[in-house]
Amino acid sequence: MTIIGTLAYCILGTLLLCVAAEDEEPQIGVDDSLWYPYDETLVLKPLPNNDLLVSFSFQLQSEPFNPAISSMSFDAYEHYTTFPRAIPPLLESTGTRQFHLRFTRGFWDALSWGQLPHAGKQAGASGVELWSQVQATDQEQAFLNWKKLANSLSGLFCSSLNFIDESRTTFPRQSYVSDIVSPLFNDTEKLYLMRASLPNEPICTENLTPFIKLLPTRGKSGLTSLLDGHKLFDSLWNSISLDIATVCPEDEGSLCHYEMEAHVEMVAHVPSALARNERPIPKPLDGNTLRCDTEKPFDSYQCFPLPEPSEAHFKLSQLFARPINNGNLFANRPTRICADVDGSTWTAFLSVNDTIFSTHDNCFDLSNDQNESDIGYDFILESTDTTRVTPIVPVPIHVSRSLTGNGQDRGGMRIVFHNDKDTAVKLIYFESLPWFMRVYLSSLQITSTISPQLQENDVILDKYYLQAADRLRPAHLELTMLIPANADIVMTYQFDKALLQFAEYPPDANHGFEIDAAVITVLSLESSSALYELRTSTLLLSLSTPDFSMPYNVIILTSTIMGLIFGMLYNLMVKRMVTVEEADKITFQSGLKYKLLKLKEKFLKNKKTKTD
Amino acid sequence: MALLEKLHRRIVDMGLVPRIIASLPVVSMVCALFGFISIAILPMDGQYRRTYISENALMPSQAYSYFRESEWNILRGYRSQIEEMVNMTSMERNNIMGSWLQEFGTKTAIYENEQYGETLYGVMHAPRGDGTEAMVLAVPWFNSDDKFNVGGAALGVSLARFFSRWPVWSKNIIIVFSENPCAALRSWVEAYHTSLDLTGGSIEAAVVVDYSSAEDFFEYVEISYDGLNGELPNLDLVNVAISITEHEGMKVSLHGLPLDQLTINNYWSRLKVLCLGIRDWALAGVKNPHGNEAFSGWRIQSVTLKAHGNSGHDITTFGRIPEAMFRSINNLLEKFHQSFFFYLLLAPRQFVSISSYLPSAVALSVAFAISSLNAFINNTYASISIFSEYNLVALLVWFISLVISFVVSQVFLLLPSAGLLMAISMISCFLPLILSKKVHISEPLSYRLKNVAFLYFSLVLTSLLMINFAMALLIGTLAFPMTLVKTIIESSGEHEVSAKPYISIKTEPKEETELIENYEDIMPGKSQQRQELKNLLLLVLTNPFISITIFGSFFDDEFQGFDVINKLVSAWLDLKCWSWFVLCIGWLPCWLLVLASSFESKRVMLKSKEKQS
Repeated sequence: MTIIGTLAYCILGTLLLCVAAEDEEPQIGVDDSLWYPYDETLVLKPLPNNDLLVSFSFQLQSEPFNPAISSMSFDAYEHYTTFPRAIPPLLESTGTRQFHLRFTRGFWDALSWGQLPHAGKQAGASGVELWSQVQATDQEQAFLNWKKLANSLSGLFCSSLNFIDESRTTFPRQSYVSDIVSPLFNDTEKLYLMRASLPNEPICTENLTPFIKLLPTRGKSGLTSLLDGHKLFDSLWNSISLDIATVCPEDEGSLCHYEMEAHVEMVAHVPSALARNERPIPKPLDGNTLRCDTEKPFDSYQCFPLPEPSEAHFKLSQLFARPINNGNLFANRPTRICADVDGSTWTAFLSVNDTIFSTHDNCFDLSNDQNESDIGYDFILESTDTTRVTPIVPVPIHVSRSLTGNGQDRGGMRIVFHNDKDTAVKLIYFESLPWFMRVYLSSLQITSTISPQLQENDVILDKYYLQAADRLRPAHLELTMLIPANADIVMTYQFDKALLQFAEYPPDANHGFEIDAAVITVLSLESSSALYELRTSTLLLSLSTPDFSMPYNVIILTSTIMGLIFGMLYNLMVKRMVTVEEADKITFQSGLKYKLLKLKEKFLKNKKTKTD
Repeated sequence: MALLEKLHRRIVDMGLVPRIIASLPVVSMVCALFGFISIAILPMDGQYRRTYISENALMPSQAYSYFRESEWNILRGYRSQIEEMVNMTSMERNNIMGSWLQEFGTKTAIYENEQYGETLYGVMHAPRGDGTEAMVLAVPWFNSDDKFNVGGAALGVSLARFFSRWPVWSKNIIIVFSENPCAALRSWVEAYHTSLDLTGGSIEAAVVVDYSSAEDFFEYVEISYDGLNGELPNLDLVNVAISITEHEGMKVSLHGLPLDQLTINNYWSRLKVLCLGIRDWALAGVKNPHGNEAFSGWRIQSVTLKAHGNSGHDITTFGRIPEAMFRSINNLLEKFHQSFFFYLLLAPRQFVSISSYLPSAVALSVAFAISSLNAFINNTYASISIFSEYNLVALLVWFISLVISFVVSQVFLLLPSAGLLMAISMISCFLPLILSKKVHISEPLSYRLKNVAFLYFSLVLTSLLMINFAMALLIGTLAFPMTLVKTIIESSGEHEVSAKPYISIKTEPKEETELIENYEDIMPGKSQQRQELKNLLLLVLTNPFISITIFGSFFDDEFQGFDVINKLVSAWLDLKCWSWFVLCIGWLPCWLLVLASSFESKRVMLKSKEKQS
């Protein structure tokens, strides 16, 4: 059997070779002069506690276009090449100059992992977040465009973005400032920045798949071949971001182009990710594989567990269940993989079809040669001490937010700003609260751990508050704050919980209502440019929820009462009032007995008269 | 309508109305009796229901529990270290435990409370989920019997380690190590909702683990669920706990039933669990808290699991109960809302819902209302106008007694001396006897006072019975003898004569009974003395403080002497349990009014006589 098997394999092999040889002849390959503006990078960064930050980034550019010529016009030139076909018409029809979409899930452990990648500018709040700059004549028009954009993106990304309506949309003033200045194609119009988020949107493979489809490699080659929902979402924290902007460079005259930047980031706990490959269910370990502290009482019955081992050796293919399939094969810039590691204890290797390479800066470029397809790249990380990682950049400020109080009619919000630096931190605190949280701004209080005499004005430099309108507009709070050095500042405010209408409750009414995360933009003290962005966790607000069988009880009860009242009124109106004696008389006269009596009397009378 | 009218006519025709009015005390008794009987028939077959899991998402024990095998080794490893912690200060203990928890990625913090000590807690962030909800595993270092919770603490840390390996969690897991299961845990829960910086979202459910022995084996599990102020956890959570425990092969004990009674399930056993349940429900917080009480009031469903005995099932089996419970709760998309929030368990798998048991408390409340009516109309002074001085004075006395009660409740919060309170209560019972010759009240006032007293108490019961059925039933029952206190009329010849004129009230045919009663009332000498003694006894029995103390020492082994009073006060101070105020502001004013009414009274010539005629 084995001989036949090998034989068959050989024949198959030669056949394949033949096909390959034939393929080569027509010479349809990549013209070296053709330049597709595409860039993809993968950075692996070990974090403390054996966690690993994996960040994919993809950059694309569209063909230049002239905004003066409408795409509808006869001589409009349109070609998308590698740029996703779905995006430009959408931008054009909605007047969108740039939009930013974030799908984030999980908990970023800022205490041990430090700053978010890209200074937090690519990470959204838990759930889906969308903000965009839309060109329109007025705010109403801008909102309509925005709604259209959200609806289209909803279809594009299989997410509930279509639930974005006026009650969720805010117009940020100082937050969400983009690095890219959007061009204005029509001077009579203005640019409107709008923002909304859906905090309870679960992020899933159905959002990832359309995302991969936007990229030219489509999950077939290059880095996208690693992106697998099962692995990406089985992580401690993950974030998918998409930024699209219109750029009109000065030197290109009237020509503009779109730029697309996409990031996929995740933090995985390496030991458990590796363990899942061996044992999909984390069952108890075998007694003899337990790692026990031998300095403490230890025998075949008891075992004081040791912390996780600090040596590591793992491959990327173990984390993503597959190797990287080739380079991107069409862009001039090759696919790049880097390891951001501490060189003293970590080493990184690239394995190309089982041959191992290493570089001094731990960055590797994958071959883009189409003639050498079917190369499996794998990345190997080794460490003698995983606790030593590249220095963690501490976050400028820690912010935690929680709901306080109990009961169904009112509650409170408590936000703690913890600044452990020796310098003050200036920041913008942005919050969008649903209309059913009726905030009392008068109850806003600032307390501090260091100086009790601290005044509200010392901390809050500027306050912008737009009151919510029932069902029409969320409350919009934007504070410019200065958090003193080495201080904990606690901000609290109170709110009332509104009652919703019966049909306004979602199908899972008793789940509670998710409250958007607050967005904190840390500004530089001198230039007021944004240094870092972070979001707090989302919150769950429990409103009084009716028992949904109650309306039927109410209907029954009210109908009964109405019936009783009607009956009484009807009786009062149509019946004659008589005294008890009269009534007795009448009842006596109307009974069957009385009639018989009468009849009898009549007979008797007749008889009498007859006898008479 | 016509039918009712006919019935009414018939009753009037038969002259039943005056007869019923004359026998109102009996009707009141019958009402109360009906209340007790309707409770007593609940454990009969056909009156109760089997429990069921109402929320389909829970699916208890559907997933295999893996807290077993080598997890036992780890648990023992931790336990051998924890055993050495008994004599450490809480700070040392918490620091070591905190470092263990951090090893597998738990974020820990220590909540410091000057009064109740330190509480260590750790948040494990859910990998699947938005981190807005949390489940709590609470482990008091010392359990409700003040024993060191060795097994519980070992279970806590090894379960947390075990949970950290699982990727299934969609709700954060918070593990809490408090000094004790009552005030310390309660203060942590309160701080979590007011002032803690490290939080993990809104808490959906909490499981308190109590395994105080260092043994590997235990016999059965006691599940406690009574919350403070009449709050119970959703029946679904209790059912999940019970069904998982039974699924793992263990016996469930409710309300401290010993092991040999767990296999019995007949009328008497069910009645026993029912009565114990009502007792524990009414005295929740006043009795030694098990830990689950600490979570009452924030829409957190909680139960306490307590291991008893030292042979049979191994400790990991016990650990599998919180494991499987967390797996169940983790499945929930909404808060617990499907199943009952008001229920009485008759056996682990049998219950009665609020609609079945509520009528008994209603009947009791009606009994008081009828007594009130009786005090108003069943005497010669029924015809006095509503705005007469007697009514106004009665209302004034009621107001004064309310103020006194409030002052009493506040004073004894500051100065909890049960002995003094009992002495004062006892002395005041004797006041009518001591001052019988010096202080007199007018007879109509005596009736009006009772009228107001019972009406007020009936209102208190009615408003209480919905939110705290057991408390309403308990105080209603204990206070019921109060309705038997009779008005003492001064026995002097002159007054007797002056009292003779009989003022007829609208209902004519009751003359006979009325006369007899009057005759009895004014019987001089021995029978009056006997009545005075009887009143004294009744007043002693129905004094809220004496009564609850007697009840506590007879029906609960936990209380000795005047313990109950001290516990009531500390339950308010530590746990914010209202029972003390229910007694002081609900019951005491009524008792004071009845006390006032039992002073010797003088007959009054009715001024309104002329008006009447």
